[in-house]
Amino acid sequence: MAMQTQLLNRFRERADEAGSTVHIIPDSAGLRGTVELVAPDGRVALAPRFAASRPRIVASLGPRAVVITGENPVATAAGCPVGMMAGELAVAETGSVLVVEDELSDRVVSMLCQTLIQVVPGSKLVATLDDTAAWLSARGGGAGRAGYAALITGPSRTADIERSLTIGVQGASRVHVVIVEAE
Amino acid sequence: MEPFERRYASALADPNIATGLLAFQRSWRDSRDAQVSDIERSCGRSFESLRDELAAVKERVRLQWDASIEEFSVRAREAGSVVVQVTTPKEACDYIAQLCRARGVKVVVKGKSMVSEEIGLNAHLESVGIAAVETDLGEWLLQLAGEHPSHLVMPAIHKRAAQIAELLTRVLGRRFAADDIDAMVKSVRTELREQFLTAGLGLSGANALVMESGTVLLVCNEGNNRMSVGIPPVHVVTAGAEKLVPTFADAMTQVRLLARSATGQPITTYTNFVTGPRPGQEQHILLIDNGRTAMAADPDIASALGCIRCGACANVCPPYAVVGGHGFGHVYTGAIGLVNTPFHHGIDAAAGPQSLCVSCGACAKVCPVDIPLPTQILEVRRKVAEERGLPPLRRLALRAFTSRRLVAGATRVAAALTLPLRRGGFTRLPGLSRQTSWRSLPAVPIRPARQRAEVRKPQAQPVLPDPPLAGRRVLLFLQCLSDRLAPDIVVATTRLLRAAGAEVVVPRRQHCCGLPAYDSGDWRSARAMAEQTIATLQSADDVVTPAPSCVVTMVGEYERLFRDDRDAQWPRRAARLAPRVHDLVSYLSGPARLATGVLDNGDREPVTVHRFCQSGNVLGHTDQMETLLRDLCGVPVRPLEENGVCCGFGGSTSLTAPEVAAGILDRKLTCVDDTRAATLVTDNPGCVLHLRGGADAGGRRLRVLHVAEYLAEHLPA
Repeated sequence: MAMQTQLLNRFRERADEAGSTVHIIPDSAGLRGTVELVAPDGRVALAPRFAASRPRIVASLGPRAVVITGENPVATAAGCPVGMMAGELAVAETGSVLVVEDELSDRVVSMLCQTLIQVVPGSKLVATLDDTAAWLSARGGGAGRAGYAALITGPSRTADIERSLTIGVQGASRVHVVIVEAE
Repeated sequence: MEPFERRYASALADPNIATGLLAFQRSWRDSRDAQVSDIERSCGRSFESLRDELAAVKERVRLQWDASIEEFSVRAREAGSVVVQVTTPKEACDYIAQLCRARGVKVVVKGKSMVSEEIGLNAHLESVGIAAVETDLGEWLLQLAGEHPSHLVMPAIHKRAAQIAELLTRVLGRRFAADDIDAMVKSVRTELREQFLTAGLGLSGANALVMESGTVLLVCNEGNNRMSVGIPPVHVVTAGAEKLVPTFADAMTQVRLLARSATGQPITTYTNFVTGPRPGQEQHILLIDNGRTAMAADPDIASALGCIRCGACANVCPPYAVVGGHGFGHVYTGAIGLVNTPFHHGIDAAAGPQSLCVSCGACAKVCPVDIPLPTQILEVRRKVAEERGLPPLRRLALRAFTSRRLVAGATRVAAALTLPLRRGGFTRLPGLSRQTSWRSLPAVPIRPARQRAEVRKPQAQPVLPDPPLAGRRVLLFLQCLSDRLAPDIVVATTRLLRAAGAEVVVPRRQHCCGLPAYDSGDWRSARAMAEQTIATLQSADDVVTPAPSCVVTMVGEYERLFRDDRDAQWPRRAARLAPRVHDLVSYLSGPARLATGVLDNGDREPVTVHRFCQSGNVLGHTDQMETLLRDLCGVPVRPLEENGVCCGFGGSTSLTAPEVAAGILDRKLTCVDDTRAATLVTDNPGCVLHLRGGADAGGRRLRVLHVAEYLAEHLPA
């Protein structure tokens, strides 16, 4: 337990440095409240894998919920200021969330929504990039298996102009990571 | 691309470049150093251990070049990619153009790819009616301005915000305020959105190619890369096979080093692992050779293939700060650009840029793959000298310089001729303003150090109590420069060593260690002088010199001059000499360590200290000089900002690119001004003359002394 708290604290510290906001909730019942807090209105694009595994949050969002499908995923997500998706791992070393987005419909939420909410089960908190590499290896190494995974660490940014930092370029300008402790 | 001379001149004519790049280098340095210090806390590994590991991984891949390509190709094909190897830029461009034609592609969106720049892809596509749209903010801005990137990571860093505002106002037809960077950045989001959605093909490079799974690693902060590769129905990767790493774990080692070195962040916002095409897409991975196999086959250059394109080498480079990447580079910019350009774009393309390197060694210190860039650049310089020839006057001068007698005679003549022009310790030459307006030339003394009585004959001089060198014999290596142009430095060195109890012997036939010739690319003349120096210094005694530049040459470079010898005579003799050679500061900090306060005469006038760049970067010195001054003399030492950054002398660069030398010198002297110290102490005679000349030309009332001169001034009468 103490180890978990330590990892959680380290994750939160690093995610914070990267510009993400971390929310820790005891169980999935708190998801609705988190969305309310982060984005009280506006349409919420839900990545298909996330929507499929969390029917309750889809239902509770009512008319706000827009589940992305293979039909016009880019245009649909572009029209939603908020996006919600699942994270496979939360990496304490860097404050990153590892996401799996094989299909374009999986990718558009993190690509296009200005406010991004990533939900990660507490049991998926890992310590290092080495753990992440092991996870990626186990998933796809040794047998070329098509797929797309990414570590997302905070909002998009650039310092291309005179090294002056601007947050929010092509990707999200606000990133919220929700850790669900009971899961 | 415009010829080097034109790019050099344009860079110098644009005041924005030097101001912008200096600010950039300083801000980057702070972030990068903070991140590197933080690595151990973050992942339990030090920068050095990660660096050594990545360098070893890259070397293993190089040694199994073909097998590595094969393993990656098999995996990537299993994942559904088309993997193609091409040799020339033309083959690569033709492949992509044909693919576009076959798929009806009119617009290509590009994530960042330096390889696509290397092969001239954009121009080729435009020539066949296909629009290539850059989507990285910096690259997009430069595309609008009709320019090429000037940096591996921050392509538009040579431009100020005001220039970009003016560019966007002109091109987009709406007003951008000069200081509203936010608005400028946001414009790329709106302007490019449509392009991402309608482009028929997305092109990316690869930060790494992971062999175990056929995966392409792509790092990005803006998010443009994942859109370029994710949305269009075709994804093309242009990469060199040197990007191969065996496993995801190796890729993470690179990830830990890359952003820290490139942008001073722990990690980029997006670290993408792309394996095969997404459903509904096709993916083509082009492995482009364009000289990489030749690099791998060259034992001196092969390690340069480990480059992960972080740009750190440019970020610490003093000449780069003066002229930017368009001068200090070709397609690839910074120190690595000087090394790989001969292989990717020919020796002629590298000739001009490589002449700007001052060999300070700063790049090697920050390279996260431990590439010995300074030595590799000197190899390029040698090739340039051999294949294109040195300018005839220079060739002659270097050849003539191998003769001690000729040099002695020429110096005597120069001293006599310039005697009427001497004033205040300098030679006031009318004209030659490109060389002298910013740095006054030293006076040429009539008598060189080797003929001064204080040096030749053992003088009755007080020996300090408990002399550490009592009963020891020391050979004094004068250094050609000190001997002929700054004999006071030699006199001071001799006095110090004798005060420490040594018998100081000055071998008569000594001349030059060979550095000027070596630095110019004339290794034949350098070798001749190396042999002569080794022969002169043959003995069992320690050799001490006031010139750390000679120590670096003798200890670090002599084996390179003899490496092709089949006979082991010279390599062995050079190896026997090396451990016996000491620069004065090292000697005074070790074998000749004097007692605390022994040179304290009550003088408390603050001084500041400039450390010769190679003393720090090559010999590993830190604060030895400051310690000597404080301990021995009790004098207050004011810290100097950027105290180990090159002063700009840089040997041949001073002559061939005086504007660069002047720019670097100005940076140094401005830092010295800020200390408000009236005396500047340094450990290398080349720096002394350069700084003295610069201070004089700039009207500064600054005493510049070699540490030997300063300490000797404090010897009891």
